Amino acid sequence: MIALRSELPLKGDASGRFVVWLVMVLVFMASIAVTTNAYIGALLGHWGQSVTGTLTIQIPVMLDAKDPTSTAATEKVLDVLHRHPAVESAAAVPREKVTELLKPWFGPGEAVADLPLPVLIDVRMSTSEPSAISAVSNSVQTAAPGAVIDDHRAWLNRVIGLAEGLGAIALTMMALVTGALALTIVFATRASLAEFAQVIDVLHVVGAKDGYIAGQFARRAALQSLAGGLAGLVIYAPTLGIIAWLASRIEDGILPDVRFPASLWVTLAVLPVAAGAIATITANVTVRRALSAKV
Amino acid sequence: MALVRKKADFVGDTVQLEAVGLRYADGPEIFSDVSFAIPQSSFHFLTGPSGAGKTSLLSLMYLAKRPSRGKLMLFGDDVTDAKRNRLPAIRRRLGVVFQDFRLLEHMTAFDNVALPLRIAKVSEAVVERNVSELLKWVGLEEQMQARPSVLSGGQQQRIAIARAVVHRPKLILADEPTGNVDDAIAVRLMQLVVELHKLGSSVIIATHNEHLVARFPFPRLHLNGGKVTALPPMHASEIGTAAS
Repeated sequence: MIALRSELPLKGDASGRFVVWLVMVLVFMASIAVTTNAYIGALLGHWGQSVTGTLTIQIPVMLDAKDPTSTAATEKVLDVLHRHPAVESAAAVPREKVTELLKPWFGPGEAVADLPLPVLIDVRMSTSEPSAISAVSNSVQTAAPGAVIDDHRAWLNRVIGLAEGLGAIALTMMALVTGALALTIVFATRASLAEFAQVIDVLHVVGAKDGYIAGQFARRAALQSLAGGLAGLVIYAPTLGIIAWLASRIEDGILPDVRFPASLWVTLAVLPVAAGAIATITANVTVRRALSAKV
Repeated sequence: MALVRKKADFVGDTVQLEAVGLRYADGPEIFSDVSFAIPQSSFHFLTGPSGAGKTSLLSLMYLAKRPSRGKLMLFGDDVTDAKRNRLPAIRRRLGVVFQDFRLLEHMTAFDNVALPLRIAKVSEAVVERNVSELLKWVGLEEQMQARPSVLSGGQQQRIAIARAVVHRPKLILADEPTGNVDDAIAVRLMQLVVELHKLGSSVIIATHNEHLVARFPFPRLHLNGGKVTALPPMHASEIGTAAS
């Protein structure tokens, strides 16, 4: 087993424990970033799927104050919609459902029931072509001037903007974590190089190649980072459970119940291995660079 | 000890220095215009007063330093400006005994001696056989598993010598290799080196021990005032004179 023999006494080296702890924290942070990114992706998918190809038409209260669902403006609009070829279905949202949607903000009391609420018409388009949406909008405006037509694009764009911003923050966090990991390995490796300078000199004198010495440092860094990474995942598991539990307590309507994609679990499992790979490459390059300055 | 080795695979001198100078940083030259050649299978003592630069001259030859100027050749290869990746192969043909031993404290005596063989990826069976045999020869069979720190200076020195010769190097460079052992052990260690010399290794031993130099009839390289002078074997009557 010559390949696994280590001529450098790196096992008991003080910087080793420091690397394990630091990598544990870094992998924990990376796990948060990865989960955030996956959650945002899942939310976007959910929201995008539920609003694409739909319109919400709002008939303001003043157009039809007495009995919104049966009044002329609403019926006129519904009539226009039912006859339009680009519309698959159109139906007024029952007042009870509107009241239900408002409950998270106004509470379950009677206050919502007395509010003068506009009529909402849910429209499912047979196509999501912008020209068809525009044609439907024009027809509705002609039938009921003052009706507000929302194709959700403005809302979706803002949500996408927010999501992309959060995604960029998550990716920045990943980049920072990767940089911090590399720097940790560089400093730990340099400290060990200084500590074992005489041993390294002897190894050189007896004919050891730089790659042989670098390999011993790289193997040590890989094992420490793998151990730290696994520890980071172990402490992240209950954290993820707590976040999921807290999210489940939020009432429906604010946060949809989304499922994490399988790729998230794969990515999380790969994080310790990735930390080990980054550490291996960084330690190897650091040692080779340092040794290249010698005779 | 069965020391079987291949015939030297190069032609010419083992070591050749041409007008070599060495200085540290911007300091003065420790020696200048040093020229000499060490033929294959030769034995030389390197003598000279303390501070003359014997250790520095040896360190040039075991490639721990490069000449500031001039030309250094080992085994027929110009190593003056050789690329680093060429040096390990050349170093594996050398055996070096340091004045301060430089044993690896985290390793046993056995592992210290085995180091050159393991670096050269020699099989463990051969390592086991050769190292055990050599440690017995230098009288350390009882200390094979001991760490250097629990051994006496003389025992450590014997391990250092065993490590330098275990891979049967073509050139043995030793810096005061018998400085910490009594005369009987010193002679025994010298016999080991002489045996390797007879089998074809070139040997350069830097030493202050005039009695040792006078006991073995080998020529000297005398370093003094930054210059090297070739001298014939020392006669016992010369002990205590300036040239030693």
